[in-house]
Amino acid sequence: MTDLLQLLFAGLSQGAVYALVAIGFVAIFTVSGVINLAQGEFAALAGLVAISAVGSGLPLLAAVVLAVVSVALVAVIMERLVIFPVKRMTTLVSLILTLGVSTGLKALMLLVYGPNAEGLTPLTPGGFSLGGVSIRYQELWILLIAGVVSLAVYWFYERTLAGKSLRACAEQPVAARLVGISLTKASLLSFLIAGTVGAIAGVLASPIYFTSWESGLTLGLKGFVAATLGGLISVRGAVLGGLLLGVLETLTAGYISTGLRDAVAFLLLIIVLVARPAGIFGRTAEARV
Amino acid sequence: MTRRLPRIGAHRRRSRRGDVIGIAVVALLMLALPLVASSSVINVGVYALIYALAALGLSLLMGLAGQVSLGQAGFFAIGAYTQAVLVTKYEWSGLPASVLAVAVTMTAALLVGLPLLRLRGHYLALATLGFGVIVTVLATESDFLGATSGIFGITKPEMNGRTYNSPTEYYLLLVPVVLLGLWLARNIVESRIGRALGAVNDSEVAAESLGVDTFRLRVQVFVLSAAYASVAGTAFAHWLGVINPNAANFPLSVKFLLMAVLGGVGSVYGAVVGAFAVEGLDDGLRRLIPELLPGAVGEVQLIGFGILLTTIMIFLPGGLHQLWTGARRRMAGDTSAPDPEDEGEARLEPVADDVPLLAREGRPAPGTPLLEVRGLTKRFGGVTAVDDFDLTVAAGEIVALIGPNGAGKTTAFNMISGAVTPTAGEVTMAGTRVEGRKPHVFARAGATRTFQNLQIFASATVLGNVMVGRHLRSRSGMLGAALVLPARREERAVEESARELLDLLGLGEDADRLAVDLPFGRQRLVEIARALALDPDLLLLDEPMAGLSGTERRELARLLRRLRAGGMAIVLVEHDVEAVLALADRVAVLEDGVRIALGTPDEVRHDPAVLAAYLGVEPEDGAATAVAEAGAP
Repeated sequence: MTDLLQLLFAGLSQGAVYALVAIGFVAIFTVSGVINLAQGEFAALAGLVAISAVGSGLPLLAAVVLAVVSVALVAVIMERLVIFPVKRMTTLVSLILTLGVSTGLKALMLLVYGPNAEGLTPLTPGGFSLGGVSIRYQELWILLIAGVVSLAVYWFYERTLAGKSLRACAEQPVAARLVGISLTKASLLSFLIAGTVGAIAGVLASPIYFTSWESGLTLGLKGFVAATLGGLISVRGAVLGGLLLGVLETLTAGYISTGLRDAVAFLLLIIVLVARPAGIFGRTAEARV
Repeated sequence: MTRRLPRIGAHRRRSRRGDVIGIAVVALLMLALPLVASSSVINVGVYALIYALAALGLSLLMGLAGQVSLGQAGFFAIGAYTQAVLVTKYEWSGLPASVLAVAVTMTAALLVGLPLLRLRGHYLALATLGFGVIVTVLATESDFLGATSGIFGITKPEMNGRTYNSPTEYYLLLVPVVLLGLWLARNIVESRIGRALGAVNDSEVAAESLGVDTFRLRVQVFVLSAAYASVAGTAFAHWLGVINPNAANFPLSVKFLLMAVLGGVGSVYGAVVGAFAVEGLDDGLRRLIPELLPGAVGEVQLIGFGILLTTIMIFLPGGLHQLWTGARRRMAGDTSAPDPEDEGEARLEPVADDVPLLAREGRPAPGTPLLEVRGLTKRFGGVTAVDDFDLTVAAGEIVALIGPNGAGKTTAFNMISGAVTPTAGEVTMAGTRVEGRKPHVFARAGATRTFQNLQIFASATVLGNVMVGRHLRSRSGMLGAALVLPARREERAVEESARELLDLLGLGEDADRLAVDLPFGRQRLVEIARALALDPDLLLLDEPMAGLSGTERRELARLLRRLRAGGMAIVLVEHDVEAVLALADRVAVLEDGVRIALGTPDEVRHDPAVLAAYLGVEPEDGAATAVAEAGAP
């Protein structure tokens, strides 16, 4: 029983990181139909920037802020340089473009920060034990901050005018333009959100899961799976999908085999997409011909 | 500058010669390299040839099926590992081992592809990425495969007592393999299969309505693409002598993708050119970067890959192939520009009205029920678009479906032809239940359709469009197509029958023009010709008269009467009520999704409910009757 609780807790904190990455996918996909393969690199880059800033003597909090701001900037620059100039964005083109950015960012991180994996200093070091379940303070921070950020993003989409216009662009691009919403601004804003949220995921995860130039790949893949579980167009779905994936992964690692941990996301993706293309939590909608 | 990816076989007839020239040039360049280059450069060339095969497979997948795989290295690794296991643990000799290695990889691709290819675009790309990760994980976890250190001691291949040891020897051993790979790929692109897949990329629903089984073809291309990767994998294992989990690594998949994209997804030989360019770049960057930045270790050349991928997609989406065709066109003085616009009307041969057309043995006798629709219903959310619709159509009759805008006519058509799944109800075509299945099932049962919003295959010529219509009337598969000889005769027969049909519809002169360059009215005729190429027993036409001139309408009406005389059944949705009442044997009237009348044109014309629906007046109203009478021929 203690084992189960321990695994569940670890899974939730891991899942909260996936959830934040997944929100980034959703933010961009809903506006422009682009799956941003560089989403995982946003997280990795933020982790590495924060680590090196702390290493050069900056206080932890300042380092974290610096990391989030600079990654958000990278995301915005990426949108202007790579997404904005393309007039006819097909699935094929968008995948190759964002793959190019992801590969370039990866190599850049390797050049600047070297090949080793490191962990950021935790916000609060140490942990405690509750009824046999050991809990690190950083894990609590992850759950808390991921929860607050998710709620903030959700509130932004549901309650603010800017958020509502982003949703309008996603649902009715033509109508949105007719009422004066700029699709280019919406696209830029969506990258800003994705960069910020991805960066927060990166700095939160780094103390526990470590960060290297390569860690964006699996993190991005799992964030995508989480977003897909939630139907790819819903913030709420992405959060639930992330938590579910995290828990299933730790349960698999704990009860079956550690090696199979990375296979879970992939199997889940296939099962869900074949059985319920609109996601576990999504409504099934049918396209009209 | 064009922003879209040129598709393989896009300008089929024009590019055929260009492909052959391209392959010949590539062959000469490949063979010339060992004469001029140093051993270390030839070593790079060996890797370029190996990777070219995997990139070629990926290029086929992207060009033909329009799908991206980010897990090509996964199949590469499966091929390499199988080869390594067979050679080192079971002491097979290289050649039979490679046959089994390719077979194993193709089986794996089939098992992975069956669930994955139900997904499209983004999902497929990410799922294949996941697949590559899984292969790496499995190889790392498996002690049988040597875990992280992999399998050692794979010997260089030996044939006829000769060992292929030096880079030059191995290089020259690989050149024929790559050329063979190119040749097979080119044949497939030019084949019935390539044509059908090109059509799917242009309009999936139209291709399926002509009997193309999209899913099946995609799985085939996916498996083929994996086969190319596995051949590359076996060659890789023998050359390196050791194989480890890095062979399935994501950066390698990215490299394959870059090779295909740089060469030009629209061309077959582009993958080979791309492979040489990328390997050269890879080698150069590996030397250059550590010199510029002391302390740089690892896969630093990836930065060049990333920048190159992005800039190509923005500035040169057709890759090097685009540069090449552009240069050729300029040299040739742009002869491939479309002919001066010829906006004349279609000229059908003047023939007496009821001479039967396309009659053939085995067509159902006139009066035999063909299509039976029972209780067909569609609800979109709370809106009932079609409500409990019944209709029976017999061979040799023309049935018209009319009704005000939004009455549900097109929705009914979409459900009957399989493009939309009904909420309830049954559709039986020639004894086969077809509702809720794909349009190609409907086509196989002997029925096809045209579309209200034209679904022309934009990247094909008029002839190419109509040849897709012969899909079900020809048989050559992937293997036959790859080997050319068995398929060539059939190709000629298909082209001939397509040309005959075009002549019949007065489109003969436009046969080799791009279909989208034609005026609107003629594009409609192309769609009808394409549908007729299937030689259907039942033809569904969605607003065939829309956009046609008066003469064209009369010609079309006469064509339809001749088809009826030939025994074909025709159902048409039409707004031109006058034309319909003159043409149809029976008329069904829809209003708000409900069938409010069914009968001969005369009965319908005087039906009170119809008059009310169309004119919004009570039938006793004199004016309404007058209008109705005026519509009579």
